[in-house]
Amino acid sequence: MAAQVIGRRSPQDAAAVAEHQRRAQRRGRIIGIGRHLVLALICFILVAPFYYVVLASLKDSTGIFQYPPKLIPFPPYFGNYERLLTDTAFPRWMLNTLFVATSVTVCKIFLDSMAGYALAKLDITGKRIVFMLLLLLLMVPFGALIIPLWTLVYTLGLLNTYWALILPALANPLGVFLMRQFILGLPRDLENAARLDGVSEFGIYWRIILPLIKPGLVVLAVIIFTDQFMSFVWPLISTSSDDVELVTVGVAALRSHGGVDYGLWSASAVMSMIPIGIVFFVLQRQFLARSLAGALKQ
Amino acid sequence: MSRMRLAAAEHRRLRLRARLRRELIGWAFLGPMFFFFVVFLLIPVLGTGWWSTQFGGLTTGTHYVGLDNFTRLPDVVGATVAVQNTLLFALMSVPLILIGSLLIGLLLARISRGGATYRFLVYFPVLVPPVVAALIWLFLTNVDFGLFNEVLRAFGAEPVTWLGASTALPVLAALDVWRNVGYWAIFFVAAIIGLPEELYQAASLDGAEGFAKLRYITIPLLRRILLFAIVVATIWGLQVFDTALVLTNGGPGTSTTTIVLRVWQYVFGSNNKVGYAAAISLVFLVAILILTVIQLYALRSRRGED
Repeated sequence: MAAQVIGRRSPQDAAAVAEHQRRAQRRGRIIGIGRHLVLALICFILVAPFYYVVLASLKDSTGIFQYPPKLIPFPPYFGNYERLLTDTAFPRWMLNTLFVATSVTVCKIFLDSMAGYALAKLDITGKRIVFMLLLLLLMVPFGALIIPLWTLVYTLGLLNTYWALILPALANPLGVFLMRQFILGLPRDLENAARLDGVSEFGIYWRIILPLIKPGLVVLAVIIFTDQFMSFVWPLISTSSDDVELVTVGVAALRSHGGVDYGLWSASAVMSMIPIGIVFFVLQRQFLARSLAGALKQ
Repeated sequence: MSRMRLAAAEHRRLRLRARLRRELIGWAFLGPMFFFFVVFLLIPVLGTGWWSTQFGGLTTGTHYVGLDNFTRLPDVVGATVAVQNTLLFALMSVPLILIGSLLIGLLLARISRGGATYRFLVYFPVLVPPVVAALIWLFLTNVDFGLFNEVLRAFGAEPVTWLGASTALPVLAALDVWRNVGYWAIFFVAAIIGLPEELYQAASLDGAEGFAKLRYITIPLLRRILLFAIVVATIWGLQVFDTALVLTNGGPGTSTTTIVLRVWQYVFGSNNKVGYAAAISLVFLVAILILTVIQLYALRSRRGED
C-alpha cells in the first residue's frame, strides 16, 4: 500500500521527500560527528594527566621546572627511573604486590566458587542466614575495621608478614555472589546426569561446574587482582618493612618522607601503572565486565 | 507388621544419615570461605562495637567508659570536622561522577565506530591505584609547573594555589571524579544498551526528539540502576582516604581530613584516642550498612519487576 501511495505522488512531491530524507541524513551525520567530537574531548581530558606525568618522568629536575614546558621529551632523561630502581626498594615492592595479589586471586577463585556452588546448588541448613550475612556486610570497607583488625592480626603475631596482607582479603563476600549467580545460570541436567552416574559432589564441582563457569572465573580474577593491586589502607597499617611492603604503600612513603623529589615521584607513578596497564590491555573485555559486577549481582 | 516397623526405623536412620552427609558436604564447600568471612569481617565489625566503649590507646591498655565516647564525639573538634569534610566531599564528587558518567554512557551507547577505543580510554583512569592518582594530581596542581596553571597561564590568567585551604577539598573531589567517571560510564553503557529498542522506535514515530526520549524513556527505565549507582558511589565516596593522605595529608590545616584519615590519625598518631576512633568507625559502619540495605532494596524491587 505504501508503494502505491508513493507511486501516485507527483514528481515535485518525490523531490520533496528525497530532500527531506537527505536533510535528515545530514542531520544524523552531523549529530554523529558532534558525538565523536565530545567523546574525543572527554577522552583527551581524562588521558592528558597521564601524558603530563610521563613527560615529567623523562625530564631532569631543571627540566621539570622549565617554562614554557617542553611537550616532547627529547632527548629523554632516564635518571629518575634509574634512581627509582636502584635507590629505593621499588622492585621489591612490585614483587610483593604481584605475589600478594596473585595469591589472593588464586585462593579467592577456589573459595568463592566453592561457596557459590554451595549457595546455588546444595541444600544445607543455615544457608539463608549465611546468605543474608554475606549480603549485609558486602560493602563494609577496611577503613571502618582498622582497630579490631589490627588487634586481631597483632595478637596472631602476623603483622609485617605476607599472611597479614593475604588472609583478611579472603573475607570479601562479593565474589561469592558473582559465582552463585553464574552457577545458578547453568542447566541442572548436566549435574543431575553426573549424580546419577555416581559422581561425587566434589567431582561435579571440579569437572562440570568449574569448566562451565570459566568466563565468570576470569572476570572474578580480574576484579580481585585489581582490588588487591590498588589496596592501600590495610597494607599501610599492617606492614612497615620493605620486605613485605606493597607498591602503593611504598610509593606513598616516597611522597611523605625524603623531601620533595618530583622526578622520582613521577617515575614511580608511571612504573606502578605498568603491570595493571598490561593486564588491562590483554583482558579489556573482562575489565569492562568488572564495571558490571554490580549489575550482575541482580 | 513388625517387619514394617523395622523398615520404617531403618528408613528414618538412612534418611538421617543421608541428610547428615548432605549437610557435611554442603558445609565443606561453604565453610572455608565462611570461616575467613567470620574471622576477618564479622568479628571485626562486632569488635568495633566493643572498642567504641573503651578509653585508652591501641597497645597501652584501655578501660570501659560506656557510651561516653559517643556523647563526647560531637565536641571533639577533629571528629566533627572530619565528618563535615567527608560529607561535603561526597556531595561534590558523587553528583558530578554520576552526571558525567551518564552523559558519557549515553554518548558511548549510541556510537557505531570507535567505541572500543573510547571505552578503553575512558576506563583507563579507573585502573590507577588511588595513591598513584594522587601523585599524578600533584603534577597537575603544582603552583609552578602544574598542568592546570600552565593552561591558565596560556590563557593569560593568574596561577592558582590549587591545594590551598579553600580549594583543596574541591580538588580532591575533582580527582575522585576523574578516577571514577569511567567506571560508572561503562556501567551505564551496558544498562542503556540493554533497554528495549522498540520503545525508542515508537517514540520516534510519535515525533519525540532526543531530549524527550532521554527524559521520558531512558531515565525512568534506568531508575533503579540509577539508585543503585547513587548508593554505591556514595558508599565509595565516604571511604575517601588514600588520595587525601598522599595529595594533601589532610591539610592545609584540617581542610581535607576525612573520616578514615581521622580514624587512622587517632589510632596510630595518638595514644589515648582509640575509643573515639572506634566510635566514629561505628557511626561510619552503621551509615554504610543503612546504605547497603537501601541498595539491596533497589535491586530487590528490580528483580520483582522483571
